[in-house]
Amino acid sequence: MRERKSAKLNQQPQPQPQLQHHQNGHLSPFKLAKLLDPDASWDKDQLGDVLHWTRQVLGLFCGLIWGAIPLVGGIWFLLFAALSTGIIYAYYAIVLKVDEEEFGGHGALLQEGLFASISVFLLAWILVYSLAHF
Amino acid sequence: MASALFSGLRYSDSLTVVGISFCTAVVCEAISWLLIYRTASYKSLKSTIDKTSKKLETMKTTDVNSASANLLKKTSKTKKIDRVETSLKESSRDLSMFKFKSGGVVALVLFMVFGLLNSLFEGKPVAKIPFVPIKLVQKMSHRGLAGDDMTDCSMAFLYLLCSISIRTNLQKFLGFSPPRGAAGAGLFPMPDPKSS
Repeated sequence: MRERKSAKLNQQPQPQPQLQHHQNGHLSPFKLAKLLDPDASWDKDQLGDVLHWTRQVLGLFCGLIWGAIPLVGGIWFLLFAALSTGIIYAYYAIVLKVDEEEFGGHGALLQEGLFASISVFLLAWILVYSLAHF
Repeated sequence: MASALFSGLRYSDSLTVVGISFCTAVVCEAISWLLIYRTASYKSLKSTIDKTSKKLETMKTTDVNSASANLLKKTSKTKKIDRVETSLKESSRDLSMFKFKSGGVVALVLFMVFGLLNSLFEGKPVAKIPFVPIKLVQKMSHRGLAGDDMTDCSMAFLYLLCSISIRTNLQKFLGFSPPRGAAGAGLFPMPDPKSS
């Protein structure tokens, strides 16, 4: 398993010129496909950025939903924290199949964007709750 | 029509706080770019930290994967890693000092904006928190507010949340976040236990 995961860092990404010249949209299909490709090779900074922005989107989405329903009580904050962490872990461990040792361990990957995402979540939750229900 | 809709909302002031926070974040990043990010010193330090981090990672990976049992070689390798780590910490410290000196203007702007918001919304709840915060957080979330309802949200707490969420992500989006290699090193580094 470790040899397979380590080998992923060394293998060169296969060029796909017909997809790289795709003109429609801001993100080419090549980049989007990499987000779900378990065989893609990742740079530490690239993976960190993807995890950061994924956390922010999760925080914003959950905050909007929690505030709209509304969900009231501290338990829902803990639920968000658990859900967010679980989704990020599942993403890099199961979908991307990265070797966490190559990127500083589970702690380093799970803390990417954590603090900012909690702030985004709280801000969205509080704003939607205040504006929609009072 | 929009202003009539917003004025009908009980906590429409929260949108004012968010709007001002967003504008402040943009202004602060513009000032930071002017005084810090576009300077040759900052670019040079950042490049050094990036290169040193990558070099350190490569050295540590090679060291782990090495099949050599030669003690002398391992000791020499460890010393090299220590030297590179020390160099990384020094560069990170220099970067922090550089940003600290130029960050005074940004701090002044933030202080003035906070003062403005305080004068506008002092003693007035600007939002409703959907849970009762822990005692430590209540000192900020219920700051300056009358009554015992701890779900009333003060301007200070909302401004804090806005600042953290908007500024952090704006810096990330614009590429002004500190390099990952500098994350572990601070302004006041602890002594290296290996050297004692």
